[in-house]
Amino acid sequence: MNGTLVRRAAVLLIAAVALAAVFAPVLAPYGPAAGDLHARLLPPGSPGHPLGTDGQGRDLLSRVIWGARISLAGGALPVAAALVLGTALGVPAGLGGPRVENLIMRVLDVLYAFPAVLLAMAVASALGPGFTSTTVSLSVVLTPAVARVALTEVRRIRSADYLEAARASGAGRLAVATRQVLPVVLPVVLTYCTALVGLAIVYAAGLSFFGLGVAPPTAEWGSMLNELRPYVFSAPGVAVVPAIVIFVVSLAFTVLDGAPGRAAR
Amino acid sequence: MYSFVLRRVLLALPTLLGVTLVVFATIKLVPGDPVTSLLGPAATPEARRELVARLGLDDPVPLQYLTWLRHALTGDLGVSIARQRPVTEILAAALGNTLILAAAAFALAVAGGLALGAAGAAFPGRLPGRICDALATAAVSAPQYAVALVLVALAVGRLPTGGMHDAFAPGGAGDLLAHLVLPAIAAGLVPMGLIARTARTALADLLGGDLVEHLRARGLPGRVVLAHAAHNAVPSLLTIGGLQLAYLVEGAVFVETVFSWPGVGSALFQALSQRDLPVVEAGVLVVAVCFVGVNLLVDVAHAAVDPRVRA
Repeated sequence: MNGTLVRRAAVLLIAAVALAAVFAPVLAPYGPAAGDLHARLLPPGSPGHPLGTDGQGRDLLSRVIWGARISLAGGALPVAAALVLGTALGVPAGLGGPRVENLIMRVLDVLYAFPAVLLAMAVASALGPGFTSTTVSLSVVLTPAVARVALTEVRRIRSADYLEAARASGAGRLAVATRQVLPVVLPVVLTYCTALVGLAIVYAAGLSFFGLGVAPPTAEWGSMLNELRPYVFSAPGVAVVPAIVIFVVSLAFTVLDGAPGRAAR
Repeated sequence: MYSFVLRRVLLALPTLLGVTLVVFATIKLVPGDPVTSLLGPAATPEARRELVARLGLDDPVPLQYLTWLRHALTGDLGVSIARQRPVTEILAAALGNTLILAAAAFALAVAGGLALGAAGAAFPGRLPGRICDALATAAVSAPQYAVALVLVALAVGRLPTGGMHDAFAPGGAGDLLAHLVLPAIAAGLVPMGLIARTARTALADLLGGDLVEHLRARGLPGRVVLAHAAHNAVPSLLTIGGLQLAYLVEGAVFVETVFSWPGVGSALFQALSQRDLPVVEAGVLVVAVCFVGVNLLVDVAHAAVDPRVRA
């Protein structure tokens, strides 16, 4: 197998899942909550239900497709928030002199001292269960990492000649930050953030698995896993479906980015 | 070396202080009235006033923080609302169980990771190497909770998937091991993949680098060359390995819940579902302090084997 080929397959898979999420009403054979109590816990491969049905007779393929909406958004939104917040903290930290840098980075270091999932759990439990709460908590978890990437990039370029030239020709701090620094920092931060999405999806599903995310019966991969957990002995084939879906999507993101996010956070 | 250790310890102190601040702030952020949750809605105003005074809830918030910090430092982390037992007691028992699980998972992660990484570096581009690289990638991407559930489904009837009540109970080593296998695999996979990838990169860089070329040119036998190369790969492996040790505690939260392993993770999960906030906050605090401690130890160990970072 060829490295580029594997990466292309990963891109295709992620694109397919994203499209499935967008076109869920058209693509899903059943509604996310439509259950048939006469067809409970059908194994994967049953006629009409390729991935089987859950404990309430709901079609799992449909729920996986509908669930992709919240599961993908649950990973992408915190990363988007961390992109904005991390850049907004990292750029001033890099340009504002050693005092500002120390202040901002020491505060963010405290958040680094927590294991990611634990910090997210603490914040999400304080806010109460729900999609907003997992999104906010994961944004808090991811922001320090993004800020560090932004700061590193600013440090690299902050004494560059073209910045001196801009300052000498009378550009204010804000103009330097937005016109000279941001265009260089943003692409780097964006690349890093793309790499974080896979990790964030796994974390978001994990928080839902813990009952901190959306409430049932809303379809979401983590909460589906939680709902199917009691059937792991009676219908193991069905119970592992969401687990495998989360793993495959996570694997596709790792193949794509080499998972630098995991090593950092 | 001593000054490095001292400096590093002093640097950890403000971090620890910040950690306590964050944990305290999340307690304060929690919506709802702790007095009502303790006494119930039917409590008399006198009983409420008495409890507010006893818990110090009418004190200014900074004073409340200092009181809370003083109690935490003396090992008093409050009383569990759901179980009506001191939180310290609950967590002390759980922490021992978590450490056993983390140690087993860590052993697995290091052994498996080094083997996969070495094989990947030894056969680059060839089939065995590629298989090892692919396994490492898959391991890195496998969420602990998903792996745990799949393992339970696969192991039905063959290995115990729960029912461990106390790792220190007189069940014998065999019983403990049988209960430990699946949780250790579930918790160890991600760290194993990361160690494998780090080991592979470090070894591949070294094997293709000047040092090994120089040693080979001097006519040293392969065994000696390998020993020198391994010695130089230790610092980066130590860093990533230590980091994984810290993250194992985090992965344990998920894994313990699925396998009902009686550790900090299970205690946290139970407390979360009962909204038993003293246990949640104390659990997070304990794990975060362990996390900072492990990172400190890793940095010191790193400095001990690699003089370059002592500067």
